[in-house]
Amino acid sequence: MSSSVCLRCFKRALIPPESSSSLTTAHRAAFSTSPSLSANPPKKKPSVGKTQGKSQAKPGKTLRLTKNKRVQTGRPPAPGERKALRKRIVLSNTNALDVPGLENLTTENVKDTGRLRELEGRVLGFGEDTVDAMRALEAFKPGQGWSLFKRPAALVRKDMIELGEAVQNAKENNSVARRVVFGERGSGKSVLLLQGMAMAYLQGWVVLHFPEARPITNAQTAYQPIQTAEGETIYVQPHYIAGVLGNIAAANRGLLNDLRLSKQHKLPIPLQSNISLTRLVELGARDPQLAYPIWKAFLSEMTAPSQPEKQGQLRPPVFVGMDGVDHIMRMSAYLDTDMKPIHAHDLAIARDYASLLSGKTPLPNGGIVMAATSASTRPAVPTLDHFLARKHAETHAQALTTIRDALLDQAKTAKSIQDIDLTNLEALTPASFPPPLALQAQNLQYLVLRFHDQNASLHSLRKYLHSFAPKLPEWNPFEAMDQHVADVMQTGVGVTKMEGLSKEEARSVMEYYARSGMMRGAVTEGLVSERWTLAGGGIVGELERGAVRARF
Amino acid sequence: MESPLLRRCVRAAAHSHKHIRRRPHIQQYRFYAAPTDSQGDIRAASPIRFSSNHTSSQPRAELLDNDSPSTSREKARSDDAPEVDLFTLRIVPASPSYFTATPQYTDDLLHLSTLSRRHQLLPVLPPGQAPRTAWKTIDQYKTERAEPVRAKGYKTLLKLLKQLNYIHPSLMPEEVKTTLETFKRDVQPYLNVPKPITVDAYGVSVAVGRRKSSSAKVYLVEGTGECVINGRTLNSYFARLHDRESAVWALKATQRLDKYNVWALTKGGGTTGQAEAITLAVAKALMAHEPDLRPALRRAGCVTRDPKRVERKKPGKLKARKMPAWVKR
Repeated sequence: MSSSVCLRCFKRALIPPESSSSLTTAHRAAFSTSPSLSANPPKKKPSVGKTQGKSQAKPGKTLRLTKNKRVQTGRPPAPGERKALRKRIVLSNTNALDVPGLENLTTENVKDTGRLRELEGRVLGFGEDTVDAMRALEAFKPGQGWSLFKRPAALVRKDMIELGEAVQNAKENNSVARRVVFGERGSGKSVLLLQGMAMAYLQGWVVLHFPEARPITNAQTAYQPIQTAEGETIYVQPHYIAGVLGNIAAANRGLLNDLRLSKQHKLPIPLQSNISLTRLVELGARDPQLAYPIWKAFLSEMTAPSQPEKQGQLRPPVFVGMDGVDHIMRMSAYLDTDMKPIHAHDLAIARDYASLLSGKTPLPNGGIVMAATSASTRPAVPTLDHFLARKHAETHAQALTTIRDALLDQAKTAKSIQDIDLTNLEALTPASFPPPLALQAQNLQYLVLRFHDQNASLHSLRKYLHSFAPKLPEWNPFEAMDQHVADVMQTGVGVTKMEGLSKEEARSVMEYYARSGMMRGAVTEGLVSERWTLAGGGIVGELERGAVRARF
Repeated sequence: MESPLLRRCVRAAAHSHKHIRRRPHIQQYRFYAAPTDSQGDIRAASPIRFSSNHTSSQPRAELLDNDSPSTSREKARSDDAPEVDLFTLRIVPASPSYFTATPQYTDDLLHLSTLSRRHQLLPVLPPGQAPRTAWKTIDQYKTERAEPVRAKGYKTLLKLLKQLNYIHPSLMPEEVKTTLETFKRDVQPYLNVPKPITVDAYGVSVAVGRRKSSSAKVYLVEGTGECVINGRTLNSYFARLHDRESAVWALKATQRLDKYNVWALTKGGGTTGQAEAITLAVAKALMAHEPDLRPALRRAGCVTRDPKRVERKKPGKLKARKMPAWVKR
């Protein structure tokens, strides 16, 4: 039976008009992307005892099966435990075979560059005390595959031999070599740094090392502003510096024990005038508030002239290393009092390193300042990239210029174009040049050979050779250059690009893998070239990944 | 009961076909076809066109004067209008198939069977060697003729076409050729012959490969096993070890990895698609250098293009096949 009054109209009539209008305004639209301005409704208190231990999902929405319930077994990892596990460095694999006849990198090997050159292409182990020192400096890193073999060992590459020569040179002539190593991920930059430090350590150098530049600038440690003597504001990171000092003390203890203070330093605490440098550094490592003044004092002691005749005043050469240097070649994540980002070079420790790298802080006793870039945690550093590319091109451009000059000299004296010796030009491999120069090298080779084939006049050849000049990468003038970085990189810092291994080197490394029992099967020509190609032309990290780690 | 005269007339009608382009051959037909004296009592007229344009059209039926059956068409046309006696005129359709349900189809069938009968003594190609031809589909044919042709009937037509197609090409009569042309599809897919890949003067072979929605173009040259993809090294382009292996799989499977250099450009799709597109391209380029490797490459699975694509989403489904979850109301 239907009523005579529509129920909906009746209901509407019961609500007074003003209240109904207020209701409609308070209501939200059925669908809106803009946030509601009205306050959120108060949350319901969870009913105690009823829903505890159960999942928060609505009943009926999910299928209730025993396997869908997440059960917690054991205790959750303590804070920092996972990170410690991740960062743990294991330098030995007890299951791996001990490689018979694996030589060590020893002082005798390192001192004689001729002997070192003989060892090129072979895998050398690190001695126990070297391993301890390098470990104290945190030069071994997780992910480098040390945990796969019985003991740490690395390949002697051409770059390492050049570094060994630089170490010798610095020791003999008290000269300073400053160098930035860059290259692809897994190309062996950090290991080259490690080998350099090991060589320096074996020859009695003081080794300072910043294992990662990233924690300096990513605003994870405390910082405080101080005024320099020149009136600039710089920022010190007491805890970070204390940690670095602790590493230095642990790694160089034997050496620094014999060295005494030679200067009077203004320090917040009174010091004995003749304490050993180990004591000094340890004081800084223990108290973060003292760390920065003690770091400065230690640096000035290290850069003081050596006085071998006085006891404890001998100052050995210094090796300063930093890994992931691109992180200090940009703005840091720290903010100043105006909430503006601080440039990394205004952080005290990065500033000191940069002045060592640029040569502003001299090392009168000789030394090496070496930096490796990071390819896996790569920040955007256009200025550094530009200078790396340019300096790398410069080294190659020199080869082109010498060939051109030799040709010009011949063109001046020769009777006809057929008399000119083209063996150097024919031996040129344009593909080995970095991209912008490769085309120019190819053009030079092609055009001069064509002049030769067509029996062109000497005049035209001379004209072409005069017009030929290698073009280097130029900075885009419409972009702002990071002046801090430019100042460092324009001071004659050398650059080294880490390339892939040659096939012979790859074979040597793979034989080491096989002899360690970490790679099954015979090392044949075919296997080596296959792995070499798959590793992108012998990128050593990829070679290891493909040959040892991959499980198919 | 049917008289021989009537039969002859029907035959004559079948020959004087309405197709305009065949008109010039009518004289020729007479030498081959059986009835030669078709100028008898009844004669097919050209079709009537119900349009105002008289110049291009020909009448579908013709008014024949019963009193003067032997009048030629030209004459009839010339002294057209004034003397026509409509009571004594009889309309004759152009084709005797006019009274069937599918006159054009019947005409075609009759024409083809005539051709096949007429040329049945010509030498034919051995079985399976006839030039591959794409004939019009039944739908195309039906649309064109606007007649309800049945599948079986069209099959008969195709059988005749295929039979005629077997005539040796050097002896194929012009009339057969032109007739077959009208039944061929506009686009002949069998004429698309892939261009053989060659090694050029610089020792480079270029090939294209595809997989999923990726495509790759590979330049293969003899070398030492270097591999550059889109200007980057193999390991920087493919982070996954498996993808690197599959990109150079054609070379690896034939133990040629250290004999060639690969320079590849690839785009579209994802990493797996790109890697496997490179596989196919490398294999094709390698076959240009060493054609004898084809069976080895086929065993390695590098020769055939994988035609699988992402299946399309369907209405009422969440993905291609996934059904929405059951919800209790």
